[in-house]
Amino acid sequence: MALDVELAEIRDFLARHAPFDTLPPDVLAELPRRMTVEYYRRGRTIITRSKDNHSLFVLRSGAVDIHDDQGTLVDRGEAGDVFGSITLVLGNPSTFDVTAIEDCLVYVLPEAEFRALTAAHPDVAHFFDEQRAHRMRGAVAKLQDSGSTSAMLKTGVRDLIKRAPITTTQDASIAQAARTMKEHGASSLLVMDGEQLAGIVTDRDLRNRVLAVGVSPERPVREVMTAGPVVGDADALAFEVLLEMVGRNIHHLPILEHDLPIGVVTTTDLMRMVQASPVYVVGDIQKQSDVEGVATVSARLPAVVEALVGQDASADDIGRVVTAIGDAVERRLITLAEAELGGPPVPYTWVALGSRARLEQALAADQDNAIIISDEATDADLAWFEELARRVSAGLVECGYPTCPGDVMATNPRWRLRLQDWRQEFATWLTQPVPDAILQASIFFDMRPVHGDSGLFPELHHGILARAPQSRLFLAHLAKAATLNEPPLGFFRGFVLAKEGDHAATLDIKRGGIGAVVELARVHALALGSPAVHTATRIQAAIAGGIMSEEKGADLTDALEFISYVRLRHQAAQVREGRPVDNHVNPDQLSSFDKRHLREAFAIVRSAQSAMASRYPTTFM
Amino acid sequence: MAWFRRTPEQARQRAAQVCREGPLAAYLSVPFADPATDVDDLELLALDVETTGLQPGRDHVVAVGFVPVVRGRIELAGARSILVAAPVDVGQSATVHRLTDDVVAGGVPLAEALAEVLAALRGRVLLAHFARIEVGFIERACAQLWGAPFPAQVVDTLDLQRRLTAGAFGQEPAPGSLRLWTARERYRLPIYRAHEPLIDALSCAELCLAQVAEMRGEGDLTLKQVLA
Repeated sequence: MALDVELAEIRDFLARHAPFDTLPPDVLAELPRRMTVEYYRRGRTIITRSKDNHSLFVLRSGAVDIHDDQGTLVDRGEAGDVFGSITLVLGNPSTFDVTAIEDCLVYVLPEAEFRALTAAHPDVAHFFDEQRAHRMRGAVAKLQDSGSTSAMLKTGVRDLIKRAPITTTQDASIAQAARTMKEHGASSLLVMDGEQLAGIVTDRDLRNRVLAVGVSPERPVREVMTAGPVVGDADALAFEVLLEMVGRNIHHLPILEHDLPIGVVTTTDLMRMVQASPVYVVGDIQKQSDVEGVATVSARLPAVVEALVGQDASADDIGRVVTAIGDAVERRLITLAEAELGGPPVPYTWVALGSRARLEQALAADQDNAIIISDEATDADLAWFEELARRVSAGLVECGYPTCPGDVMATNPRWRLRLQDWRQEFATWLTQPVPDAILQASIFFDMRPVHGDSGLFPELHHGILARAPQSRLFLAHLAKAATLNEPPLGFFRGFVLAKEGDHAATLDIKRGGIGAVVELARVHALALGSPAVHTATRIQAAIAGGIMSEEKGADLTDALEFISYVRLRHQAAQVREGRPVDNHVNPDQLSSFDKRHLREAFAIVRSAQSAMASRYPTTFM
Repeated sequence: MAWFRRTPEQARQRAAQVCREGPLAAYLSVPFADPATDVDDLELLALDVETTGLQPGRDHVVAVGFVPVVRGRIELAGARSILVAAPVDVGQSATVHRLTDDVVAGGVPLAEALAEVLAALRGRVLLAHFARIEVGFIERACAQLWGAPFPAQVVDTLDLQRRLTAGAFGQEPAPGSLRLWTARERYRLPIYRAHEPLIDALSCAELCLAQVAEMRGEGDLTLKQVLA
């Protein structure tokens, strides 16, 4: 007779880890019997590259490293991780080495049992069956699916209430009531009967029911209040309340919780919510007549991002919106400066560099810009551009875009050049590449015109694109730089966390994740002479140009989207909590879903770096 | 006790001659493994016996758990956990193995449990932590039931642990360091609930894999080197 607790230890462990956590209890209870237990001492290979594997491994304790056919570390597994599925799904031989880096105890499911399990349980099959790409895509979809479709539909009334209700008693005089409203700057006042709401008085009531009809301000307020007003429930959604208010043509709605008023929602509150729409922001920026005004409107940018994340827009879309607002701010500041300085002495083009040029700006971005000046400019003309740059840069600081620590700004005379000098600068980078200079210069290869003459930028750009594909040494240096920023594969085990300062034990998601993809895509695009600057478009160009397989390219795009989305969600949370915005994610605040997929995304990036390293061997340098 | 001076294989042959028909005779009919066999080519049976005390003559078996280790792999499909109907009250021992009188009353007769153990042990090496308990109780039962001794090839993880942790000059390991759970900690093996016979057998089997991996290093490791 068997005890009912047999192998419960193993069953319970499996139940805590994906994909087994989706199995029904009876299947889960039976699963351990289909497994064997093996022990691998540190240093031993569990799955060997170019050999066949016929098992699925569940790591019970210890840790493993997974290296690809280039010998690059692509993943690191810890307790609860599952490996071996790639060969089971895609076929043998294995393209990976799986090596124990600590002594490992593993549960092993034979191939036949794996097949039976995946055949019977689509959820489990789904977990393995799809390649990383599909898993990434699913992860993105799942992240973006977790909310509803618009901020209006999602926001609760409770979230709109900014302060406790302003109240008075029924016996207070109309004059007292008006004074209370003035003191608090309130456009409405709740009239209380003890703890219960008796009525409401608004600005409009004071006009229509008091002043216009000659009622004495010494009369008690209850005589002119709206008794038993329409109220809203604290748990209602904003849009429900909005419909109610529009339907009844009222502008103030007391909100009750357990029959007690907790605040008042006004139509203005609701309009403000709609205003977090980027269309309004861009429109408002264009209406501003001074820097201060632009700064006031651009202060709404974080709220826009927060709203977009709440509305489950994609990271790619949000990047475009943030860029559009950034462009609008910069254009407005340039136009204002031009108006003060008088028109430019010669044609010029103001260009954005880096993430904004790529349409990928996030919050916490600094200024990256430059000026291309027509060759006809005399030395005396240049002073005008110096002053323009100074004013615009100072304005940008006011609008929340700090100066660039690397001084890649139009205020720097090195980046405020005549077209011919820009050509010379690029020619030097392309033909006489010096590693340090290349690292600094790479940002200039992401350039997009924002304002001014439309002919200068294309002239410069065409020249660069014609030359880049032949500049082998330059590309090799750029490729090397692109493989240096290794994604923090082991961050969940505390390996690659920033070790010092304010960001101790956080993950710099921009540097190792997003930055790495951006750099890879840039090398590929330049090698092909593609005019694309947007990273996903560059990856498309690499696929079209035969540098990257469609599958690998789609993987990389998805990885970028996922990592970017995690960054934006992190920033949105900081905005919500009123904290400064940055790129440092605390791994403790990531769900196991995020961690798993982030690790997959990093693995994809690492593998793309590895492919690039073999395409541009450093031995040529 | 004369067979102790013989090899286990000689003891098996001798016992086979005196044994009455039954599960023990079937067990004794299969030759033992050659001590020169590499450990990774062996079959073992990790066994744990829960009892009412430590003395085979006085105390009783209340539960048995086992799991085979076949060529370096613990085969969970062969895992068994058997309750034994003890002829007496479980008494205070229930506080250790959590098997109360009511639970034990649902068990099978010792002969039946033992038949399963012997069938699983056929052609395999007995693996246990502090194997003296397991061997002692089985010996006693075999003598009573089938009138024959119980020779076995035995690997004892407590014995292996003593060898692995003994100092260079043969100092005895610290007291307590040889206990199953302490020994497992050394290899950072998972923490399980103790004293459920199958979990104890599994724990012992996992510990054995870890010990064998350490003892082997890069070289060979034969049964002879690990036999108790």
